Amino acid sequence: MRMIDLYIQEVTRRLPEKSREDIALELRSTIEDMLPDDYSEEDVKPVLEKMGNPAILASGYLDRPMHLIGPRYFDVYINLLKLILPIAAVISLISLIANTIISYSGEEAVLNVVLDVIGLGIWGIISTGIQVFFWVTVVFAIIERTDHKNSQTPLTACFKEWTPDDLNNISYIPKEKAISKVEVFLGLLWTAIWASGYFNAASLLGVYEKGSNGLEFVTPTFNQEVLLSYWLLVVVVIGLEIAVDMYKLTTGQWTRKIAVLNTVMHGVSSIVFIVIISNNQLFNPAFVTYMTDLFSITGDFDNWFSWGAISAFLLFAVVDVYQGFRKANIKK
Amino acid sequence: MSTLLNSLTTELRRGTLTLAVLSQLRTPQYGYSLVQLLEQCGISIEQSTLYPLLRRLEKQELVTSSWDTTESRPRRYYVLTPYGIDIYQQLKKEWEKTSQELSLLLKGEDNG
Repeated sequence: MRMIDLYIQEVTRRLPEKSREDIALELRSTIEDMLPDDYSEEDVKPVLEKMGNPAILASGYLDRPMHLIGPRYFDVYINLLKLILPIAAVISLISLIANTIISYSGEEAVLNVVLDVIGLGIWGIISTGIQVFFWVTVVFAIIERTDHKNSQTPLTACFKEWTPDDLNNISYIPKEKAISKVEVFLGLLWTAIWASGYFNAASLLGVYEKGSNGLEFVTPTFNQEVLLSYWLLVVVVIGLEIAVDMYKLTTGQWTRKIAVLNTVMHGVSSIVFIVIISNNQLFNPAFVTYMTDLFSITGDFDNWFSWGAISAFLLFAVVDVYQGFRKANIKK
Repeated sequence: MSTLLNSLTTELRRGTLTLAVLSQLRTPQYGYSLVQLLEQCGISIEQSTLYPLLRRLEKQELVTSSWDTTESRPRRYYVLTPYGIDIYQQLKKEWEKTSQELSLLLKGEDNG
């Protein structure tokens, strides 16, 4: 008797309140039907074994699924995770790096800061990843439980069932023309690094010397006031870079439009770079003297340095612009 | 290998269970009597599948149920509704068609 009660309780506690009594009554009459008139506990065991695991029996009575995310939503779920996870990871990394550079006071050794950023970066990516994974999963589990349509047909990314017309929304991307997400994210990362560097050049860029507490900041490279007077131009360049990167990310492949945009971006940033670097007030006089002494350069250090930097910058820009057009023109 | 065969057999039979149960509910049956009827014909059905299945059929309005308290222990009897009879007839035709087609296929294999 006791075992039957326990069995029925095990089933009904998993069921909604209103159906419990009725199902309990039916189960009891069924179980007793299967037993001889005068039964002992020993007789009950094989009967209950026949009835099977109470959890399985209960789940049969419930319409609720026994999975977190079923076949209808699984594909959308995985695709969304693949889309969101890397974006979230990159955003957390970029904000960490920007934050570190901005709050850098110049007291700590650069190497330590870099190691810190790597450690925190890994931790940040993991914890952001777990957060994103958790919330996306929760949302899908709720959708799965609130969608009462009986259809099991998997859904596409637009939360509709697949039709051949969906193929029109996909562009065929040959490998040679593809812009990888990594490329875009590295671009964004680079923008974040140089932009934070620009606004904190006073405490970051300069000459370091070995001192009693490791590396010590001796003198900044730039004349901060002169450097920062160009902030509006720099913000324009930052905006352009981010816009081009975003456009690359959404298009996913090199097109003429992107190649042209890329050229405009490089053109504008080259002009801004040349304008800033050719200002003869730009370099901190202390830095110039230091360098001239160090390399015992005869002649004009600023000039020499400026021309080197401009050539390197332009060379890089031209190569990138050329590659852009080359990839955009690949016919496939 | 035999576990694979087992799962394939279970899968093959699962779809026919509803038809088997419906066929026996033209006269009122309670849970255990239904199990016995099916077992007499060699169809063994998991109890944990049958009782929830009966509830589902009731929800789908293919069967109705009522408690009979005149006997020593109360029993819940299930019987086909007119709609249930209709669906049962159509399902039966489908099954006959399928089994004919399949036996044709399988026969063809024997000859070849």
